[in-house]
This record gives sequence, structure tokens and C-alpha cells, in this order.
Amino acid sequence: MSTDNDAVRELIYRSCCCLDEHDFAGYIALCAPEFRYQITLFSPELRKEMIWLNHDRDGLKALLDMVPRHLVRLGALQRNATVYRIEWDKADGQANVMSAFSVFNIDNEGRPSVFAVGHYHDTVDLTGERPLLARRNARLASRDLGIGSHIPI
Amino acid sequence: MCRARMLNYAPFIWKTLEVPISSRSAETWEQTPPLPDGHYVNGRVYHDEQIFAEEREHIFKKIWHFVCHESEVAEVYDFRTVERADVPLVVTRGDDGRIRTFINVCSHRGARVVMDPGGNARTHTCFYHHWTYDTQGTCVSMPRPEGYANTPVCKENMGLREVKTEVKWGFVFVNLDDGSQPLDDYLDGSLDIFDEVLPHAELEVFHYHRAEIDANWKAYQETIVDLYHEFMHVILRDTQMPAASMDDRQMRTYANGHVTIAGIKADYEKYEGWVDRDDASCFPGLESDDARFAPLFPAQTFITRGTVMRVDTVQPVTAHKCLIESRGLGLKGESSEDRMMRIDHHNEYWGPFGRNVTEDAFAAEGCEFSFGKGAAMRGIIARDEGGKGQGDSGLRGFWAEWSRRMGRPVGNPTND
Repeated sequence: MSTDNDAVRELIYRSCCCLDEHDFAGYIALCAPEFRYQITLFSPELRKEMIWLNHDRDGLKALLDMVPRHLVRLGALQRNATVYRIEWDKADGQANVMSAFSVFNIDNEGRPSVFAVGHYHDTVDLTGERPLLARRNARLASRDLGIGSHIPI
Repeated sequence: MCRARMLNYAPFIWKTLEVPISSRSAETWEQTPPLPDGHYVNGRVYHDEQIFAEEREHIFKKIWHFVCHESEVAEVYDFRTVERADVPLVVTRGDDGRIRTFINVCSHRGARVVMDPGGNARTHTCFYHHWTYDTQGTCVSMPRPEGYANTPVCKENMGLREVKTEVKWGFVFVNLDDGSQPLDDYLDGSLDIFDEVLPHAELEVFHYHRAEIDANWKAYQETIVDLYHEFMHVILRDTQMPAASMDDRQMRTYANGHVTIAGIKADYEKYEGWVDRDDASCFPGLESDDARFAPLFPAQTFITRGTVMRVDTVQPVTAHKCLIESRGLGLKGESSEDRMMRIDHHNEYWGPFGRNVTEDAFAAEGCEFSFGKGAAMRGIIARDEGGKGQGDSGLRGFWAEWSRRMGRPVGNPTND
């Protein structure tokens, strides 16, 4: 079991790079078989929790595989993440990791704008040779995402 | 259009018809198209500031607006704040159970009274001078009222301005015009497309998002009414266009510019990674592959897709920006498994990470890029498929109502 903080940070940052670079196979390779991905947030309008995306590993892979067929937003999304906290749960062979993220959209003319802000709440599986994402909750703080995105955060 | 077919428009022959061309000169680009009135839209309607200002007065301050679902104000004293026609509103349920709407502006010095987008409060106190209002709009408290002793100002005549409010099948509508026709007259039966569904289902909103996009409000609303743009969406090419005959579709227009579209089917499993939807988990009166649309004039849309419902509104922000509000609805009291299924079905198509809405917004912004700067001269809405298929009769109905209310022909709105 890996218990290296640097390896966990590397996993989080690698996941951002893969999505930035549209390396979807690389992203899925970072996910454990039981991986669950969600985008969640609280709606002050409804005073309720909301789920804006919910997939297991296969569902997320299918979603990402279809991206090239779609009419997607212009430019590129760039994720900037900082790992704030790593809590080891050695008994269960996992770590709970909280990271802040900001996602910028760089349009085709090179102009940046903020697309989304929030936190990743990740569960990292440490039982294998290398850490893998077992669960990611991309918890949004911002709620207006403009035209949206085909690619998860 | 090929030359042979152009001959069908004999009174409108393009000047250069006899010259085989592929591109167009400035003259032919700018000249009036060889189409009947109402079959093309002058580009100025998307960016002219005077037209934009008049739309607020002649359209948005006169029509019935969907503002929220009753599940958003389910309990006594629940409230929601919204804006319509740039007017801030607070919708609240009183202790008599009735839903009322008020302009969210203090009668004293005009400050916004209710700040939060939603909540529960027996009274609302203006932050500025602490005038307080109850859920029936009555001013119930003003500090040191003796200062107004020599004026007509008193609690009894300083209530909030109430706005006409009606609830139909749980959907709350308001109208800023006190002299407006009743809601049912305004709808002209357009929501009857859901009369096997909505009267028999107690709904609940589970999804809400708002998004400001760089497009004139009409450009986004057009994507709802324009069936021809199905080609733009992979999911519609894969699941919807092959699922039923184009001849089974029924597009109908109503008084006041409303449109309904029925007869559309979808084979969801045809999209890679999706599974079919189960009839057992549908809304009452619907089949899992059934899709119905009711785009109401000017910019509010009710859609069902078998297992889930979406309601959108579009608000003008500037001539070049609009605000989309989108809700997803399920059945109140359903199991957590059914709710999760509906959330997933909603998110497949809709929401900020859906495969459909993001592309519609992309299309609206793409049109804004050219219309917003005056580079595009006009849009063509001349398809005719007899109310079936991918015809433009809904778009023409929308624009006919726009012309009627604005007093401007859509083909020449500035009388150039």
C-alpha cells in the first residue's frame, strides 16, 4: 500500500492534466474499478442539494468517449488545483483528499475567464501498486457555468 | 436553393437568377430575399438597442411569466426571489396557503427588501430603515411612525405592490400588467399537450440552474422551436430522428405565439453508453420514448421526455446577453432510486453538463457572434413541411406574435 503524500498529490494533479489535455483514456486509467464520479452543489434557490453529473467508471468512460462527436465549447478548459488536506485511513486502505479547484476557460483568442470554482472531495484507493481514484465529488461553489461543458470538471 | 425550385417563388426572383453563382455579391447579400413576408428575419432584431428597449415594454411587461413551481414555496412563509422584465419579484406563500407575488422593492426608499434567492420568513424587513412587510404585502411595522404624523404616510397605505399571480398545475405564473387577460386565455390551450400528465402528477423541482450567455434572448429561444437544428445534436441524430416518422410529428401554433410539438419519439439506447428508459418509471400519461414540447411566447418552455420534465425561461439582460433559468422536475414523494434515475435522465440531456442544452447555448452564441455585430443580414425561416417533420411553422408563429406586439414587421423592423 502506498502511503506517500506526494503520490496522492500526483494523482490529483494528473487527473486535472488528463482532462485539460483531453487524454480521456489517461483519466480513466487513474480510476479504480469501483470509481464513482459526481458533480454536486447546494441550490440556495431550492434549498436542496443537487447532482449535476453522476457516473460510474463505465458511464464516465462512455461519456468521455463520445466527446469528440459533440459540438463543444470553443477554446480550452484549464484546471488549477491545490491539495489542501490528505487524511489517511490505513485500516480501509484509502485516503480522503480535499482540494480546491478553479477552472478557467481560455477562448480561441486567448482570453481567460473563470468557468467554475469549487473543491474536489476525493477518496483514493491505496491498496494497489499506485493510488487510484475511488470516488470524486467535484463540489461546485459557483453555479453559473455559462453555456456549460461536455467535459467534466 | 436550386434554380429550378426558386422558380416557385415567381414574384420574388433573385435579381441574379440567370447568373450561376455560388457566392454572393454585396448587392445580392443585402437585398430582400425572394421569400414571402414572415419567412425571413431581419438581423437588426437581434442587436438594435431601440428594439431591445421596446421588447421589455411591449412584450415582457405585458405577458404571463412562469416564475417558479409551487414545490419551491411548498410551506407557509416559503419564498423565492426572481426577476422578470428587469423587475425584482418575491413569490411567497402566505399563512392562508395562497401564493402571492410582490415587487421586491420597499415602499419607503426603493431598496430591495428580500435578498436571498429562497427561504422561509414570516415577515420581510427592509435592511435600510427596517420597514417590515408580511406575506400578504402589508406593511406591518415602520420605526418611529410619529415622524410622518403630518403626512399621509402610514403603515396602512405603504404595502408592497402586488403582482397578478395564477397557479396552473403547480406552475406559478405572474403578469406585471394588471389589465392583462387571464392566464388560461393567454395560454390558449397550449399546455393542454400535457393534460394527460400534469393534472395527474404532483411534481417537485430537483434541478435549478441559471446561466448568463452571450446571446440575444430570441436566438436562444429559437433553438427550442427550430426542429431543423436536430442535425446539430449528436444525441438527436442518434436517438430521435430515426425513432419515428417525420410524418408523425405535429407542430401546432396558438394564439399569442405559443407552439407545441408532439409525436416525437426517442430510442435512448441508440446513443453509445445510454440505456433504454423503462415505461414503468414514466410520468403518468407518458411513454418512456415520448417527447413533448411547449415553447410559450416569448421565452419559456415546458418539455417532457417520458421520465422527466424540464422548464426553461429566458430573460433579456442586454441586447447581447440573456439569462437562462432551467428546472428539472420529478414526482413528489418518489423513492430515492426513482429520483436518482430521473436526475440521471435529466442530466443526460440537460443541465450545464448535458449533451443537449450546452449545444443549444453554443448555437445561440454562434449566432450572436454574427448578428450581434451586424454581419449577418437575416435568418431564413422558410421551411414548410405541413406542420410535420422539421418545418419552420413554429418559428414563423413566434415571429408573427413578436411582430404583432412590437408593431414592426420582422423582415423590416426598422422600416429601412
